[in-house]
Amino acid sequence: MKFLEYEAKKVFGEYGIPVPKSALIRSPDEVSACLDGFDSAVVLKAQVDVGGRGKAGGIVMAEKSDAVKAAEDLFSREIRGVPVSEVLVEERLAIAHEYYLSITIDRSGKHPVILFAEAGGVDIESAAEERPEAVRKALVSPLLNEVPQFLIRDLIRGAPVEIGGVINRLYHVFCDRDALLAEINPLVITPAGVYAADAKLIIDDNALRRQGISVNRDLTDREREAEKHGFSYVELDGDIGVIGNGAGLTMSTLDLIDYHGGSAANFLDVGGGAGRERVMHAVRLVAGMPSVKVIIVNLLGGITLCDEVAQGIIDAGVPQQVIVRLAGTNEEAGRRILAGRDYLMVASMEEAVRAGVEAVQ
Amino acid sequence: MIYGGRDPGIIVQGATGKQGVFHIGLMNAYAREVGGQGVVAGVTPGRGGQEVHGVPVYDSMREAMENHDASVSVIFVPAAAACDSVMEAAHAGCDLVVAITEHIPVHDTMKAVEYARLHGASVIGPNSPGLLSPGEVKLGIMPAHLFSPGSVGVVSRSGTLTYEVVDELSRAGIGQSTVVGIGGDPVIGQTFVDVLARFEDDPQTKAVVLIGEVGGNLEEEGVSFTDLPVVAYIAGVSAPPEKRMGHAGAIIEGGEGDARSKIRRLRELGVPVASRPSEIPELIKEML
Repeated sequence: MKFLEYEAKKVFGEYGIPVPKSALIRSPDEVSACLDGFDSAVVLKAQVDVGGRGKAGGIVMAEKSDAVKAAEDLFSREIRGVPVSEVLVEERLAIAHEYYLSITIDRSGKHPVILFAEAGGVDIESAAEERPEAVRKALVSPLLNEVPQFLIRDLIRGAPVEIGGVINRLYHVFCDRDALLAEINPLVITPAGVYAADAKLIIDDNALRRQGISVNRDLTDREREAEKHGFSYVELDGDIGVIGNGAGLTMSTLDLIDYHGGSAANFLDVGGGAGRERVMHAVRLVAGMPSVKVIIVNLLGGITLCDEVAQGIIDAGVPQQVIVRLAGTNEEAGRRILAGRDYLMVASMEEAVRAGVEAVQ
Repeated sequence: MIYGGRDPGIIVQGATGKQGVFHIGLMNAYAREVGGQGVVAGVTPGRGGQEVHGVPVYDSMREAMENHDASVSVIFVPAAAACDSVMEAAHAGCDLVVAITEHIPVHDTMKAVEYARLHGASVIGPNSPGLLSPGEVKLGIMPAHLFSPGSVGVVSRSGTLTYEVVDELSRAGIGQSTVVGIGGDPVIGQTFVDVLARFEDDPQTKAVVLIGEVGGNLEEEGVSFTDLPVVAYIAGVSAPPEKRMGHAGAIIEGGEGDARSKIRRLRELGVPVASRPSEIPELIKEML
């Protein structure tokens, strides 16, 4: 789950990483009251979860005198389609230099990796592509609680030594908070010292419970409903509903729909060992999206009981046509249950997809 | 079997849970069919002295290893404790640890995989369906009736999609040497590189089917290290772009974790890539 900038900065601050003086406001009326805390110039930053926020107009410089007008303007705007409901008002920093610092997981190295670049800012990705050597990398053994000093020396080299302290504190955030990403871009040098001018923090969804986070905000209502049943569920733009078991098989079904010229409205992965009731919930959830005209159920596995699945499909009683491909235990019984009704039972994934695409054409 | 002997003694951790009980039954049914030892012991802390399908259960891996000749552990322990079990198995001297458990926090996985590596144990998974060598041994939850013995190795990040491909191969008369599900999580023990190296050392394996997914670049990495003929299939061509992870993910992976660029790079390495699972048997026949 992604933290917004102000939430990430709060966490970074708790770990001793210097962050700019700031105030969070939820309407332009709150600006005047918070301005007393700032010296002169401020920055207004829309708290929206979109990439390229600055380039899209989500970050505005203002003097204290025109901050109210700037805030009114920002609250009335949408940043890449996302309305602005929270704005972070920050002191403007006297930036002498911008660095890039992040910690993430290196899949092939299987370790946390620290990335540090002399030149941070909005163009870090293209810089990394053009000059890969500009981004210094260091893998840290996951069995260590601290970043070894030699790694820090090697990472920062000519940069101010106080950045070393920031690296270690950010590493503690990364480990303690079960983060997939902890990023400071830019990490700025000012006459008053080093600051995290921006902050990103993404928490591992598999660790939300032990992190005390009860609601995953990154999900839509229907996705959250799906999560309650242990399903993964994604909505798309087409007209075919897809139910599969296992991420790979479900994705592959989607690809096959694409291959045959159709497009999926949504897809739902029921996970392992789907019984009657789970299947019923899955079919109802997928059918509940208005754009779904036909539903393909593609379930494969040794432990899936096909008669249970067939019963669950009937229990769901949805108006759309349901095309069923079932392979597993009690296949014949499942076929008998669905026979003579308005369901189409097919023998392979190819057939299921072809029938589904034809049905909507 | 590409990990050790063809008939290893197997210990199941999480033996008394619903999944553990069910799959000890299926693994031992397979072992009886092929004349192997199957699961020789189970482990669940606090349940020592019980039996599951006639298999003795112990409180710890140490006790189980002292009383039985075993080299492999299969883990069905719930996510919160699964990584502790991986480390316990490695510490007790298992050569191979197969972690079936899904939804393990990735920080736990990184620790457990590194700890196991330092103890000389190979970890398959987590979030893996296990491995099956037709006619020899089944470690995990793969549905054995779809498999047939032969000379094609299969290595995959998926579970059910692997069964789909194995089913296609078996129907086309193409048998398998060993089928390995390495797991779908961002961090896993054995990667494509490791499994392809095992296939290369295996006299039975003549060609390999590699089943990948969007994200990362482990598929390409694996292929570039092997001399075996490989046919690939990558799921997720039509998937919506993955939610971006700041800049770090793009920098680490060169911004190319999506399926189409993965397919392009595999083709550049000379690997035929099937557009759908049903094309795999034809492509593999051309390789044999």
